[in-house]
Amino acid sequence: MINRCLVLEVILWLGFVLISCGRNERGNGDLIYWSANNPEEMLFAQNRIKIWNKNNPIHPITFQPVPEGSSSEEIILASVVGKTTPDIYANMWQGDVEDYALAGVLVPLDTLDGFLPFLRARCSDFVIREITSSDGHIYQIPWKANPIMMLYNPLMFSKAGFTSAPRSYDEFLTVAKEMTLDRDQNGYTDQWMGTTEVAAIWWQRFFNFLPLYIAASGGAPLVENGKAVFDNQHSVEVFEFLQEIYRNGYFPKEQAKSQSDPFLTGGIAVKFTGPWDIMQLNRFKNDSIQYDFATMPVPNSDDTLPYTYCDPKNIVIFRSCSKPEIAWKFLQTMISEDADLEFLQLSQQLPRRKDLSENTKFIQYFDENPTLKPFQRQSAHLRGMDSSPYMKEVLDLISQEYELCVVYDKKTAEQAVKDAAQAVNLLYLD
Amino acid sequence: MKRTALYLILSLAALIFLYPFIWMVSASLSSENGIRDLRFLPVDFTFDHYIAVYQSIPILRALFNSIFVASFVTLGVLVFGSMTGYALAKHRFRGRNLIFYMIIFTMTLPFQITLIPNYILMVEFQWVNTFAALIIPAVMNAFAIILFRQHFISIPNDLIDAARIDGCHEIRILFQILWPNSIPTIITVGIITFMTSWNDVLWPIIVIRDEQLMTLPQLVTLFTVGGRSLAQIGVKLASATFLALPILIAYIIFQKHFIQSMASTGLKE
Amino acid sequence: MKIKKTLYSYLLVTPYLLHFILFVAFPVIFSIVLTFHKWNIISPMQFIGLSNYKKLLLDTYFLKACYNTIIFLLIHIPLQLAIALGLALVLRENLKLRGFFRSAFFLPVVVSGVVVTILWQQLYGFESGIFNRLLTGLGLSRIGWLIDPKWAMVSIAIMATWKNVGLYIILFLVGLQSVPTSLYEAADLEGANPWQKFRFITLPAINPTMFMVVILSTISGFSLFIEPYVMTGGGPLNSTLSAVLYIYKQGFFYYHMGYAATLGLTFALVILAVVALQRKWIESS
Repeated sequence: MINRCLVLEVILWLGFVLISCGRNERGNGDLIYWSANNPEEMLFAQNRIKIWNKNNPIHPITFQPVPEGSSSEEIILASVVGKTTPDIYANMWQGDVEDYALAGVLVPLDTLDGFLPFLRARCSDFVIREITSSDGHIYQIPWKANPIMMLYNPLMFSKAGFTSAPRSYDEFLTVAKEMTLDRDQNGYTDQWMGTTEVAAIWWQRFFNFLPLYIAASGGAPLVENGKAVFDNQHSVEVFEFLQEIYRNGYFPKEQAKSQSDPFLTGGIAVKFTGPWDIMQLNRFKNDSIQYDFATMPVPNSDDTLPYTYCDPKNIVIFRSCSKPEIAWKFLQTMISEDADLEFLQLSQQLPRRKDLSENTKFIQYFDENPTLKPFQRQSAHLRGMDSSPYMKEVLDLISQEYELCVVYDKKTAEQAVKDAAQAVNLLYLD
Repeated sequence: MKRTALYLILSLAALIFLYPFIWMVSASLSSENGIRDLRFLPVDFTFDHYIAVYQSIPILRALFNSIFVASFVTLGVLVFGSMTGYALAKHRFRGRNLIFYMIIFTMTLPFQITLIPNYILMVEFQWVNTFAALIIPAVMNAFAIILFRQHFISIPNDLIDAARIDGCHEIRILFQILWPNSIPTIITVGIITFMTSWNDVLWPIIVIRDEQLMTLPQLVTLFTVGGRSLAQIGVKLASATFLALPILIAYIIFQKHFIQSMASTGLKE
Repeated sequence: MKIKKTLYSYLLVTPYLLHFILFVAFPVIFSIVLTFHKWNIISPMQFIGLSNYKKLLLDTYFLKACYNTIIFLLIHIPLQLAIALGLALVLRENLKLRGFFRSAFFLPVVVSGVVVTILWQQLYGFESGIFNRLLTGLGLSRIGWLIDPKWAMVSIAIMATWKNVGLYIILFLVGLQSVPTSLYEAADLEGANPWQKFRFITLPAINPTMFMVVILSTISGFSLFIEPYVMTGGGPLNSTLSAVLYIYKQGFFYYHMGYAATLGLTFALVILAVVALQRKWIESS
């Protein structure tokens, strides 16, 4: 009897000891590196870290994918708050960096040896301006870009009698009218012009409002000096355009969550998306699906190439890192010309460098992979994210008005844009 | 005539309660194109979705984590709950009534109020991303204490006094005399605690961000709302089926205990 | 001996007291302190007086969350009572396979809410979900279960009823057992019809159970989280924004800890008030 009691007690104590060991142990002095958690990027990071660890056995790097969550931005914020940040994080959304820089959790990279010359060789002046913090320091390395473009199905287009992708809103709406069909005659549309997520979550605007706004305005920012600057004709035109689409049922209102990718099943002809979709398309598509990419539609098309949003994900070093100099040395090997090419080959995401159309290595790769050509052309006309705090909340506020006006038609575009701008200005007033 | 009607009602209701699960299992074993159909058996039978789930998330590790966490929470609640319940039932000491009121207060306190400060506590203790955050706040449960107290009151004092005369100290009395006489209560508290811990998602989502430490329901939730399920329905349903499986098996074996235990949660008012 | 016994008494309750201080008393006090501050954990805490409360009074999302919960409860409670009581009355009859049916109805109760939510999200699909297929099959028009702001919360309430009703069937069965059969026999002798028997014998006997079902459903309504989190993210047009989801958003999306604590405290008071009102109302009727 006594034994049973003792055993119970021992188990209990053992348990609590085990619990305290449950924390993820890290080797002494290793640098922890987090990458995005898609298979291609994980593979790339593991390759690069393997090479580094072979050449630098005294300063090994430990690889981990960013943990699963509804968005990686949510995860990284939680890890900053919970003081569980990695040393290097290579999937930082550009719009978040200013918040973290102001909170003092990031290493100012321009204080590291050889950083500025490296950056100037890699990026255009425009990009460097875009990533410079309000305090004059630079806290991020522009790494990868996923320009949002218009994915379309040429087969469906030609069936409906169109030979090229629409460039202006009017053209888009004309095609949409022909493309939206009730194929089985049951009174419900079962083929749409396209689809885009309707959920009022900030990052869903990356695939509709934001690239359209950047295209319409020639690359204008949303916020400048703590004030909303999107309160303009371009936003109104974008809202009206999308509102018209939903009003006529050219896009379904269903959240994409509850259905298989309709582009793969031939249910839609158009989708605003980035190059990462190419992998999925090639993996899952059948022969009846063709695809190509075109520029984002604009209010009135001329011959100039429109800008678009490029969903930049950058590399940062956290203050918790004990050896930022070593981290920076490693990063230089990870974003060298050859590494960038390998990254492009593996993941089909663009390295954010200025010479994609000049460097022969990259030119050759794009020539061999014509599906990516539109992205190469687009790479000179990209916009990232404004260097202002609260960008997530700004996009959330825009999303609220977007849902009201665009999806559910409860407000005019002018009113929605005005209200969104007002809410954003209130946010910066605090 | 009346009986036929009653059977008809029951069968229809049973279909409504069971069919969605049957559909889920069969859809998770169907090819992505066949999922949409209303069927009992899979279309183009395949294990692909399960393989895809296994390859993209550490689901077995999560299963282990869930079992580990729920087991320790259950053990803790049984030990600490019976300790407190015993003191309240059989001991007279200053402050006993106060403790009783504290327990009632805890039971009526909506968790919404403690959610944020408890998270901050975890941050300050550096328990974020440890099992401690999942286990330690959960090892005490007011309802379990009350159940133990009610039961211990019904145990005759003679039994305890006899043990005391034999020189047993109180901890031994609790575990050697009272526990063997409280098996039904232990099963009830055990099942309720285990289920509550097993099914909790909100708290793990808040305090665990390391994939290797996530519980099974948490991992499946984040997998379905996150990007890695690649918008394929089959893998979502496969992960949901996998999550349902352990409890389903336990339920099929221990139906009676489950129903009795859960029903007693309703008696707390 | 006496002192030693008292010592043991305190030893036995020590774990409870420690736990209470750490995870109940401190959080409650700290949460009240937090409501007067602005804090994102990363930067230092900032005292802002009553600003959080002022913000709350003007916060349309807070009102929306309350309104959504009321909608949920208005659908969920009557549906729950009717179905649970109905099926309990049928199950009370001496029928074969009672055990099987009871277990079948109870199944959704034991399965994780996550499973149920993922599953029902597919059933509710607008284009090809099973419900809309059934509706179109019957020649009716489709319903935008999760995409129509008028329907989304109703859909969640229906799902929650399906998930929980098994538990309440059991509770009603327990309540019904307490009715002595002699009462029914006496009523039969006096020639009472089934409705009269239900109204004057069954109903009074299960009144406490009804009360419990109402209270438990109310609490679950204010605790809704995983359902909107997985299915709708709170949309469309915030029609499924629940109390806990809103606290979660303020707390763990934006890290507005002070404001999230204010919301938590306010919702807790609302819950206690609603439960107290229900208690009073049921006791008087």
